[in-house]
Amino acid sequence: MAELHIIGQIVGASGFPQNSLFCKWGVHAGGAWRLLSGLKEGQTQVDNPQIGETAYWSHPIDLHYATKGLQGWPKIHLQVWHQDSFGRCQLHGYGYCHVPSSPGHHRVNCVTWRPLGTWQEQLAHTFVGGGPQLRSPDTIYSGADRYRLHTEAMGTVELELGIIMSRFDKFGVES
Amino acid sequence: MATGNPSVFLLTVNGQIEGANFPEYDNLYCKYCYVYGHDWTPTSGLDEGITQITCKGSQSNKLIWNFPLETTFKSTSPSGWPQLVVSVYGPDVFGNDVVRGYGATHIPITPGQHSRTIPMFVPEPTWRLQKFTSWLLGRRPEFTDPKVVAQGRAEEVRSLRLKLICCKFAPCRKLICCCFLLFQ
Repeated sequence: MAELHIIGQIVGASGFPQNSLFCKWGVHAGGAWRLLSGLKEGQTQVDNPQIGETAYWSHPIDLHYATKGLQGWPKIHLQVWHQDSFGRCQLHGYGYCHVPSSPGHHRVNCVTWRPLGTWQEQLAHTFVGGGPQLRSPDTIYSGADRYRLHTEAMGTVELELGIIMSRFDKFGVES
Repeated sequence: MATGNPSVFLLTVNGQIEGANFPEYDNLYCKYCYVYGHDWTPTSGLDEGITQITCKGSQSNKLIWNFPLETTFKSTSPSGWPQLVVSVYGPDVFGNDVVRGYGATHIPITPGQHSRTIPMFVPEPTWRLQKFTSWLLGRRPEFTDPKVVAQGRAEEVRSLRLKLICCKFAPCRKLICCCFLLFQ
């Protein structure tokens, strides 16, 4: 079985309309992949930057996968949320990116989007907050049924990932 | 490759904590420690340490420690790759020693020269009254064990009702690190 190590961190987020952000993240891999160690989902702390606009989390990711096939290469999916001073949480974006497939150190910028509702919902969102959310997080990283969505662009999340691959060449995969 | 025995490799870290950029604070010192998984053991060098107290020079706004880091780890698997956790402390207006920032980063996984800048953050009290009393008495929220920063259990931190804020600056400090991977 070939093995893949993902060692890195979710550095932070920028370009969102409000600060005081946190991120819920998860890693999804296909059926042939087995997680040997590490947490495959989690949530960062809330960061409220005092200087500049980038919210920094430095949230560590350390995963060890074993696989029998290349299908379903792992993907990191993210949900960026905003927490205000009253403790209420509001969605600011969904995004996903594939884990890099070459060994070494990579900086990945993951773009995010937010679902838009009808114009009445957008008006309510301006005054009251809230807004539509996805019923299941699968849609973040799958293309099925995306055509039903109307979304707006939000900021980017920066990740630093170190990839170590082992025994892939024994299966004829160049790395 | 030896049959029957898991292959052991060594990770040697030679580097330094160069300094920090904290525009609003001065006279700071830094404590560092390594956090690593079960498969890892340090074979030489110090696992944790504390730097000198430094203040900003007249020419520049930076705080310089130039503190050496020389450690070697031994492991059978890259899982639990070591992370360097740093905590920076300094005096407040009343002279109490308070925490100014926590940060963590993984040791680089490829051999060669690397420079890392770590953003720092500090737990924030949720209530305004608590903010005022902690400022007055010098008892700010602190982690009982700074290793929590490296463990990715930040949602537990949220449940203790702490908010973490970035300290007031952009890059925090540089770590120049040469890594040698020796496979046996």
